[in-house]
Amino acid sequence: MKQKILLNLVLLMFLSVQISLAQQTVTGVVSSSSGEPIPGVSVVEKGTTNGTITGIDGMYSLKLSTSSPTLIFTTIGYTKVEMSVGTELNINIQMKEDVQNLDEIVITGLASSTKRGNLANAVSTISAKDLSGVTVPQTVDGALYGKFTGVNIVSNSGAPGGGTSVKLRGLTSILGSSQPLYIVDGIYVDNTSIPANLNFLSAAAAGGNASSQDNASNRIADISLEDIETIEVLKGPSAASIYGSRSGAGVIVITTKKGTNTGTRVTLDQTVGFTNAINLLGTRQWNEQRVQSVYGADEVPTFVAARNAGRIFNYEDELYGETGLLLNTNLNVSGGNDKTSFYASVINKDEEGIVKNTGYKKTSFRVNLNHKFNDFIELSTSANYILSSTDRGYFNNDNTGTTLGISYLSTPSWANLFPDANGNYPRNPYGAANFLQTRDLMTNNEDVRRFMGGASLSVRLFQNEKQNLKLIASGGLDSYSFVSNVFAPRELQFQSNGAGVNGASIQGNTVVNNYNVQAFLVHNYAPNSKLTFNSQAGILSLNFDRDTKIAVASQLIGTQTNLDQAGSIQINQTRQPEEDFGFFVQEEVNFDDKIIATVGLRADKSSNNGDANKLYYYPKANIAFNLHEFDFWAGIKETVSQLKLRVAYGQAGRFATFGSTFTSLNNVLIGGQAGSLISTTRGNSNIGPERQAELEVGFDASFINNRIGLTVTYYNKNVTDLLLNRQVPLSSGFSSEIINGADLRNQGVELGLRAQIISKANFQWNTGIQYWFNRSEITRLDVPAFNLGAFGATLGTFRLEEGKSATQIVGIDDANGDGTSDGIRVFGDSEPGFQMSWTNNLSYKNFELNFLWHWKNDYQNVNLSTLLFDLNGTSPDYDDTGIDPSGALSNGAYRVSRLGVSADVFVEDASYLRLREVGLFYNIRQKALGNVFAGAVKGIRVGVSAFNLLNFFKYNSYDPEVSNFGGDGLSSGVEVAPFPSARRIYFHFNIQL
Amino acid sequence: MKNLKYIISFLVLWFTLASCEISQLSDPNNPSSDLVNNPSISEIQNLVSGVESGMRESLANYYDVVNMIGREYWRFSGSDPRFTGDLLGKGSSSLDNNTFYLTNPYGARYRVIKNANLLITGINNTTAAISADQKSNAVGFAKTIKAYQYLLVLNQLYQNGIRIDVTDPDNLGPFRSYTDALTDIANLLNEANTDLNAGSETEFIFSLSAGFAGFDAPSTFAQFNRGLAARVALYRGNYGDALDLLDDSFLNLSGGLDVGPAHFFSISGADVTNVLFFPQNANGELRVVHPAFITDAAAGDTRVTSKTSLRNSPASLDELTGEYDFWAYKSQSDPIPIMRNEELILIYAEAKIQTDALGDGEDALNTVRNAASLGDLPAGLTKAQLITAMLNERRYSLFGEGHRWVDMRRYDRLGELPLDRPDDNVWVQFPRPANDEGE
Repeated sequence: MKQKILLNLVLLMFLSVQISLAQQTVTGVVSSSSGEPIPGVSVVEKGTTNGTITGIDGMYSLKLSTSSPTLIFTTIGYTKVEMSVGTELNINIQMKEDVQNLDEIVITGLASSTKRGNLANAVSTISAKDLSGVTVPQTVDGALYGKFTGVNIVSNSGAPGGGTSVKLRGLTSILGSSQPLYIVDGIYVDNTSIPANLNFLSAAAAGGNASSQDNASNRIADISLEDIETIEVLKGPSAASIYGSRSGAGVIVITTKKGTNTGTRVTLDQTVGFTNAINLLGTRQWNEQRVQSVYGADEVPTFVAARNAGRIFNYEDELYGETGLLLNTNLNVSGGNDKTSFYASVINKDEEGIVKNTGYKKTSFRVNLNHKFNDFIELSTSANYILSSTDRGYFNNDNTGTTLGISYLSTPSWANLFPDANGNYPRNPYGAANFLQTRDLMTNNEDVRRFMGGASLSVRLFQNEKQNLKLIASGGLDSYSFVSNVFAPRELQFQSNGAGVNGASIQGNTVVNNYNVQAFLVHNYAPNSKLTFNSQAGILSLNFDRDTKIAVASQLIGTQTNLDQAGSIQINQTRQPEEDFGFFVQEEVNFDDKIIATVGLRADKSSNNGDANKLYYYPKANIAFNLHEFDFWAGIKETVSQLKLRVAYGQAGRFATFGSTFTSLNNVLIGGQAGSLISTTRGNSNIGPERQAELEVGFDASFINNRIGLTVTYYNKNVTDLLLNRQVPLSSGFSSEIINGADLRNQGVELGLRAQIISKANFQWNTGIQYWFNRSEITRLDVPAFNLGAFGATLGTFRLEEGKSATQIVGIDDANGDGTSDGIRVFGDSEPGFQMSWTNNLSYKNFELNFLWHWKNDYQNVNLSTLLFDLNGTSPDYDDTGIDPSGALSNGAYRVSRLGVSADVFVEDASYLRLREVGLFYNIRQKALGNVFAGAVKGIRVGVSAFNLLNFFKYNSYDPEVSNFGGDGLSSGVEVAPFPSARRIYFHFNIQL
Repeated sequence: MKNLKYIISFLVLWFTLASCEISQLSDPNNPSSDLVNNPSISEIQNLVSGVESGMRESLANYYDVVNMIGREYWRFSGSDPRFTGDLLGKGSSSLDNNTFYLTNPYGARYRVIKNANLLITGINNTTAAISADQKSNAVGFAKTIKAYQYLLVLNQLYQNGIRIDVTDPDNLGPFRSYTDALTDIANLLNEANTDLNAGSETEFIFSLSAGFAGFDAPSTFAQFNRGLAARVALYRGNYGDALDLLDDSFLNLSGGLDVGPAHFFSISGADVTNVLFFPQNANGELRVVHPAFITDAAAGDTRVTSKTSLRNSPASLDELTGEYDFWAYKSQSDPIPIMRNEELILIYAEAKIQTDALGDGEDALNTVRNAASLGDLPAGLTKAQLITAMLNERRYSLFGEGHRWVDMRRYDRLGELPLDRPDDNVWVQFPRPANDEGE
């Protein structure tokens, strides 16, 4: 049905076509008020789509299509300039800085964009320069830290290949992902984390929490930062409503780079860097008495012998002390002519981790093509192919004592784990695994082959002086295979001599095929010079299909990795098809840039809902008043150059999780007989989507000729019908059921201050301070308060409770001090009290210095690494004192004594202050190079940069940014023996031809 | 007028779009539980195997919990402190009502009960060509397994009671007191026994794993049913009943002690390996025999030597040190007994002693002692002495099989269990799971 509609729409667009007449060519240089050339300025002939972009030298050249036209110059960070073309065809332009970016064009919907000055929402935009111009963040999500307000980003571990949780304006879902929707050039990009079934070896899910805890990366890591032109962040439903049922957690709209018609440009960017752990903890200093108290008197002679022989080892340094080499190469070519433009890139990354045999390799190819058939029809396509391979090591919680983290912390420093001359590893008598052997011999690899392609056809169906009608038809495809390969050879300590399963080869293959097609009609109508109407309608169809097969071969033959070389094979397949259909209408009215109002409605249905054909509606409405555009403002325009008041309301949703409706029978096997055992999850045929409704109010103001800009936003986001995995009485035979059972409110304030402090010919300094916080409250809970997301109240856990913060951390406590636990108390919250960031861009002559500080204050983690160290007697600070209020016990002994009494020592303050990004560059411009390379080289840029160079925190582990349970739902900030975090330092060389 | 045209076109378009159908999905990965509306014989077989397989879920948790509190062995875990903390009542720790040591085995047992209920529904609904007697026999199987699962849950919760009526997840029955629940279980076993004895079919319509070899026909499975009923009678203090029930069980005073149904384990494919197996001399994750089990043993007791193994070096964790591995299961495919003839002989002995047939009781005790290469008990022991002796034989004969804690509790002797650290405690029972509380 919908395919047919799309087809009709596509046929419609091959209607009338006109031919344009090229006449003259205008050229010139665009520079800043200090005389520096500005690259990337958009130069457009007013009233047409004819345009170009300035080059690295600020030069442009545009063939005019009309007589006596006006040129419009726009770029981020500068005020728009309009210049009419007379007889002079060499037009040089000086642009004034504008810290508020009022003229920047912001994507506000599926088919619409608005200039920032007219936006009724606080949409954040991050440019290529801010994103990847300072240093080399690991992944796209990791590059967002501190760059806009209203977000809480937590990295799950320091493992190569990423793994990050991004939450916009607080928690939006408890059961499902609170991660935003990513749309890259119109393609709905899959951001799943796919576990490799390390759990077969670790049995992590066999204990108190059924999450696999496999430390999988999330797939947005495949997108290359270097290809990105801009990122726009629609933080909540008030801005993202038109994206409907998958946008409840916000939408991150990514636009990749396009070619220009100013001749072919080649850029080669090479960085070489290194990485090391940001915070190693040290090891416990042993003596006879300490050895005896932990291991008994029998162990003392072993310790003394090892000490006398000089065989006391620093295993932390051995395991986490590597310095990894980081190589990034980015070669891109862009160019084009008036009709066709292209951007092509090859990006290669080869990054080692701080643990031997870990690393990340990626090669990405991208081709973006734009072609104008004529003034009416334009086609743009993008194609991106990615190959990546990640070795992530074996970390996090387990119930077998075998992960590198757990086996490390159970091993004292006098153990000898090093292999002999023949490569035989000794058994670790203190743990279930010899972690050096595991590190050296075990494989945990993720291999991705991914294609993302999109095409968008824009046809102007009709145009006259007052109105025009445009059809935009587009489609996107995201298709990848994810191959995980875990190999634990049978000579490993935990796979030999009866332990384990005599070797395991675990091979997973996930094939994802997602596609989206959509068609929109956009109608512009300007009855007079002061009033414009923009009407839109569109339909969308989204299809998602994931098919995961994981084979576990055990009882391996010799050193074989092949699945058939095994005594036992298990296969597991999970298919996850989903289908959505939606449509929308939207009307925007602009009164002379003074008042801008929009109303819209989106309708959606999905196969994930209890009733697949029930439509769910998401309305939106917003209005902005540009007070400075009114006549009465003229008197104070000198001091307050801009003041916009804005109010926006919108709803969005999140579909029920796949499978919520099924009550199924799981397959089991006993003695060769296949069996059916009732699933522990009870299906709910009434399940519907979660709904987020957000009201956002705020104002934007600029002072002193736009040199100081202030943005203030308050939002109130109510999430209703939250999906809950309701714990049902276990005696029903089920353990849980998915229901729409809770409401939640997020409120927050976001402040942004930008200022151009110094603007001289040789010296510029721009700075920005962001401050934001979010507070949540569970406003309705249909089930009794319950714990989730960690390991129970004894150790500290999240707890959903009506009237309380959704992210509160509670634990058992001994309120009356009698030495026994007597109830549950709140010990913290994973939502920061506030976050602040401070960005700075300084340039002096040819030097550029950029740095970004990020402060996350007042939030807590559940630190169980320290507890496990303590229980094994190996904590670096075991013998220190200070945390026992009575002063009687050492830190380690005191923490152990609190186990079962109070969780107070396990819930720790995780506040941090980091120098997230810093980069110092030197630019050699074409002028200086002209003679050397015969003008071929347009610029050279060299520099040094770092990510997470300085980190300040009191938290008693490797890094407060950690998540044993990955990025979904509530659970970030629970730590169990993770892959430690690393800083990265780079040297840059960039040449442009 | 013009506007009206637009409005009408708009409404038509809206209606068209709204009526685009997308298909309602059924689970692409698993069969739906709705199949019990009319299952085929092979689907009934699947449900039966599901029941049997499900009995092994979280079984390690159950045995570890019960055996640790009974001070039979310690489960050492480098990654979970709650075994040696909470379960041994270390310091001031308490048993949590929402932690794996309770919720995992509790949930797993009720899951099997749910599956057995689905099986019963399926058997009653099926239009497959099977006779009424065959249906009864199959229902008898399902009810017997249900009764056994209830009993294991009740062992953990004791006086906190358990729910018996759990057919409708939206309307669960009340918690029944310990005494009432035992009565319910006994009645359920009796119903099952009647069902198993209906007609004269020599085979079930389904097959069971090798764990039930010798107990896989209605008549032999009924012997297991009666054995269980005897165990329940003992718990209820109905010693006369126990003796009667034993008559129809697989009790054989001169037979092999290990005869009896068992949980089947295998290393093949998706099957489950022995959940209580760790290799000897393991580190990190292991089961260490409680030192008192060794030191209290009579010299030459082969029950000790056959179920324990001296470690190369002692294992220590959390101020506990032990020198012997728990070594009742020697490989990953060893079965774990559900009920053995040795237990039936001991039930017989206990019931005889309690009904003052002291000689018969002592003879039965000597049977298991002799099998363990020990001599007879001194003749002429008093009833009280014989009860103590009987508990001791049960301790060694049924080592690691989940009886010690229950036995000591039955005789109000939990205070006699050894404590290993100054502030350890012996728990009497587990709390009701948090999610099952508000009834």
